[in-house]
Parts: sequence; C-alpha cells; structure tokens
Amino acid sequence: MVNLVLNENMKIFRRARTWILIALMAAFVIFGNFVMWNENKSAQGEGWQTELTQQKEMWNDRLKNSSPDDESQTYYKEQIEVIDYHLEHNIRSEQGTMWNGINESAGLGILITIFTIIIAGDIVAAEFATGTIKLLLIRPANRLKILLSKYIAMLLFGLVLLFTLFVVSVLMNGILYGFKDIGLPLVSMINGHIVEQNMVLNLWKTYMLNGIATVMYVTIAFMISSVFRSSAMSIGFSIGILFAGNILLEALHRYEWSKYLLFANTDLTQYLDGRPFQDGMTLSFSIGVLVVYFLAFNLISWLMFTRRDVTA
Amino acid sequence: MSSEPVISLQNVTKRVGRKTIIDNLTFDVPQGEIFGFLGPNGAGKTTTIRMIVGLIAMTNGQILIKGKNIKTEFEQAIRHVGAIVENPEMYKYLTGYHNLIHYARMVPGVTKERIDEVVSLVKLENRIHEKVRKYSLGMRQRLGVAQALLHRPSLLILDEPTNGLDPEGIRELRDYLRYLTRTEGITVVVSSHLLSEMELMCDRVAILQRGKLIDVKPIEYFTKGSDTFQTYRIEAQMPEQAIKGIRQMAGVQEIKISEDGLIEVTTEREQIPDILEELMRNHIRIYGVQMVRRSLEDGFLELTGGGQIG
Repeated sequence: MVNLVLNENMKIFRRARTWILIALMAAFVIFGNFVMWNENKSAQGEGWQTELTQQKEMWNDRLKNSSPDDESQTYYKEQIEVIDYHLEHNIRSEQGTMWNGINESAGLGILITIFTIIIAGDIVAAEFATGTIKLLLIRPANRLKILLSKYIAMLLFGLVLLFTLFVVSVLMNGILYGFKDIGLPLVSMINGHIVEQNMVLNLWKTYMLNGIATVMYVTIAFMISSVFRSSAMSIGFSIGILFAGNILLEALHRYEWSKYLLFANTDLTQYLDGRPFQDGMTLSFSIGVLVVYFLAFNLISWLMFTRRDVTA
Repeated sequence: MSSEPVISLQNVTKRVGRKTIIDNLTFDVPQGEIFGFLGPNGAGKTTTIRMIVGLIAMTNGQILIKGKNIKTEFEQAIRHVGAIVENPEMYKYLTGYHNLIHYARMVPGVTKERIDEVVSLVKLENRIHEKVRKYSLGMRQRLGVAQALLHRPSLLILDEPTNGLDPEGIRELRDYLRYLTRTEGITVVVSSHLLSEMELMCDRVAILQRGKLIDVKPIEYFTKGSDTFQTYRIEAQMPEQAIKGIRQMAGVQEIKISEDGLIEVTTEREQIPDILEELMRNHIRIYGVQMVRRSLEDGFLELTGGGQIG
C-alpha cells in the first residue's frame, strides 16, 4: 500500500504541472498579502492602544443607542471585555502585526480546493485517457487498493498546498510587518472566560475547519473522475458546484429540505458564529450529513472503479 | 516441469447486453509455447486478452493461470503474467527508468539489479533515464517488453504487439520472444490480425471469428497444407485457352488464372506431367512451372470459409 502511494506521488510530483500549481499558490499568497499589507498600512494611524480605545467606544455606542437583542448585547459586552484585557495586560491586538495577514490568508484556502480538484479530476481519468490504466491494473494489487492510494495521494497534495500557504504567508507577513510579534497570543472569550490561545494552533484550527469543505469538493472531483473517466468533466463540474453552491443555497433557502444539501453543511464555522443556515441545524446534524455524503461519494467511486470493464 | 497448462480457458463467454462478444471459448496453452491468437479486427481478440488479464469481467466460464482463477484469486494469478495490452502506454512525463520503478514497486521482490537486467535485455541502457516522451515507437515497445518481464512472469501476453512497428522492430520482437521461450521457458500468448507475422512467430494458432473459436492448429497445418493436393503455377502462352483443356482432366481440383496472368492449378503431384503434356499437345508454349507454398492466409481462408480477414 505504501508503495502504491509512493507511485502516485511520483506521478504527481514528477510533473511540471504540479510544480506550476504549487508556485501559483505561493504567488497568490505573496501577492494577496502584499495587497492587504498595503491597504492596512494606510489605515493604520496612531498605534494599537488608540485604535482599541476607539473600537471600545464604538461597541459602547452600539450597546447604548441601538437597543440590541440579548444575543448581540452579550456579544458587544464580550468584545469590550476582550479589549480591556488587551489594554490591561499590554498585549497588542492582531491589527498591524504579521498575524493579521497570516490569518486573513487562510481565506486563500479556496485556491487549495481548486488546485486539488485539478489533481483529483485527473488522477483516475488521465490513466484511462492515456491508456496507462491497462498496465496499472494488471499487477498483483487489487483495484480498491489502487483507488485508495490515489485518493490518499490526492489528499497529500492538498496538504502540500496547505503547508505552502502556511509557510509562505508566515514568511511574507513576517517580512512585511516584521517578525517581532510572532509569539502574540490570541485573546478571546470562551464560555464567559477570557483565554489566551496560541495563534498557530488557532490558525490550524481554522485551516482544518476550512479543510472539511475542501475534502468534500475534492472527493466529488475524484468521484466524477473515476465514474466518467474524464478529467475535463470532473474538474469543470467540481469547480462549477464549488461556486454555484452558495447561489443555489440562496435560491433554495425557503425550502426546509435544503438543509440536507451538501453546501449547507460544509461551512462548520456557521455554528461558531451561532448563525446556522436553517434554524434547528446543529453541529452534529451537519457532521452527520457530511459523513453520509462523504461515504456515498467514496462508495460510488469505489463501485465504479472496481466493477467496470476497462475498455480504454 | 508439470504438465499443467500455464493458461487454461474454460467455456469463457462475454456478453454485453444481448450481444455475445465471446462465445464459449475453451483452450489450453502448455509451457514454453508461443500461442497465436488470430482473427480479423473485431473478432474478439482484445476482449479475450483483457479477460485473461482481468481488465474485463467474463459473463461465464473461467480462466486459470497456473491453476489460479483470475477472478477469485486475482492477485495470485496475475503475479505470473506480464502483458502489453495493445500499445505499451507509459507515463510520458516520467523517464523510462521511473516507469519501470513504478511497476517494480507493485510486485514484491523486484530488485534494482533486476531492473538493470531487463533494461539491458531490451537494449535501452543509453536512453533509460530520458523521458518517455522523447522515445521512438520502437523504444516504447521495448520499454513495454521490459515492464512486462520485470517480475519474471511465466506467461507473457502481447496484444497486437507489432502495431506501428517497423520491420526491424518486428524482427527484434520476434527474436526476444524466441529467446525468452528458449532460455526462460516462458509461455507467450500473442494476438494479431496479421497472418504473415503469426506464421513467423507462433507454434500454434487459434483462429477466432465473430467471438467463436474456429479451430486451434499447429502452424505447420497452415504452411504445408494437405499432403496430396498442392497448388502449382504455370507460366504459359494464351492462358485462357490453355485452361479450357485442363479443367476437364481428372485429378484437377481447382484451376484459375491469377492476376498476373499465370495459371494456378490445384492438383496432385502426379498430375503435373499429364497437364503439361496436354498443354503441349495443344501447342501452348510453357515457360515455367512452380509449386506454390501455401500461406497462412490460404489456410485461414480455408478454415473460416473465406470470411473477411483484417
């Protein structure tokens, strides 16, 4: 099994295309970070204490003037407490440090999804298109193992992109903002208590949450790749639903069953904000839906890949 | 050495929808034989070969390779098989060497030394570290042979191996196959629609037509023909007039005029002097008489009842 994954990795990483994707990933991060840094620079003025004080006043204003509901009220109060903690303990806010840029960069994770879809769409279909599948499947390794090794290799490629994102964004923002705040903790309110968290851990938590959606979309691409044996169809369709998903959700929001749609559940951060897509959706509901989709996609790939005749 | 056949097909049938593509195929191939699989395009050669290597599932019957069932004991059965199915399609963006590493990793026990050994057997030492993209068709074919031999298979399966090869490449391939059967006792199953090629390569030939096995014959059957009747070519003046007289003679099985104006007569050897005498009696001048060596093509046409060939 290890050998099979090594083979798939060899086929991925000994192609120029793969390195172009990784280079593109790095280039997008560098460019994006530079643009963000440039914008923030002009917005920055008198230093973080002044800015936090201004923010605190803003929350106070809202609390007094806009007669918020209970939920918002607690949220505003929490924000004020967090700011006070920053000021009291002389811990500067993320604003204007490398962490601002690094955390924002997590949003570029969509590129990981797209680039991994490209690899996923190709990884099975290309073997059929070039005819190499015939030599691949006449070895003493059953088809399920071969399919699994491809799936693992595809996820590994996604991880490589994720590390690229992490390393490049840390380096780039370090260079732009300076590395002096690298040890800055994340101050936040959890269950009514102020806690200091490790920024890196928090970042990876965000990565992993975003990663759930990535895994789902690349699994779709992988499934189409093994069912229809066409890279173009797989890549086109997967990227299509990646972008159409949210539009579709908007359109179907009024139907209660739309909560069973894949797209309604891929973003688990909706539970962190406490604003799920449909009322009554819970974290465990979404995880359940995701697991069902995940198993279904993989089962379809598996059945189609192992049962069908190879006539390529 | 056991007498067990290396490969055995038993009532193998493939149906797709209502169409029967392969109909009840049964034959065995003993060790060390080069077994040809002959038939026009679309006769089911490739389908059969794909069933043998497990790429296509059969509807009925079973295929045993060294006694292992390709369906239920796939991994043990396929271990003994090296194959090129149609063209040897390699990963073009990898070097020849990496292609071989790829396949070596999939079978336990293939060492680096073995890879080098196979590379030198197919004489690719100088180019093995180049990308396959840069290879000529002949070199790809040789790399294809190399990947098929890596794991020392007992059975080598080649589907239309000479497709797109130049005569030099075909001769080379033929020499490999002979060498392998002699030195390593390997068994070879090779398919082709080219009769002339089979004639030079194979020990026995199975003839397939519309998914049915017409017959399995040793190659001598096709080249020697029956013992009594032979075809002779006579170069003579006024052939049209000449055959009128001969056609009536006893012992003449068939007579016609070939495209290049020669008389072609199928008869017994003892009839030849009588035929010549008859011609001379009619004052037809004779310039030459020659026995025609029967080609595989003729034998094939005879067996398939003049059906189309590829």
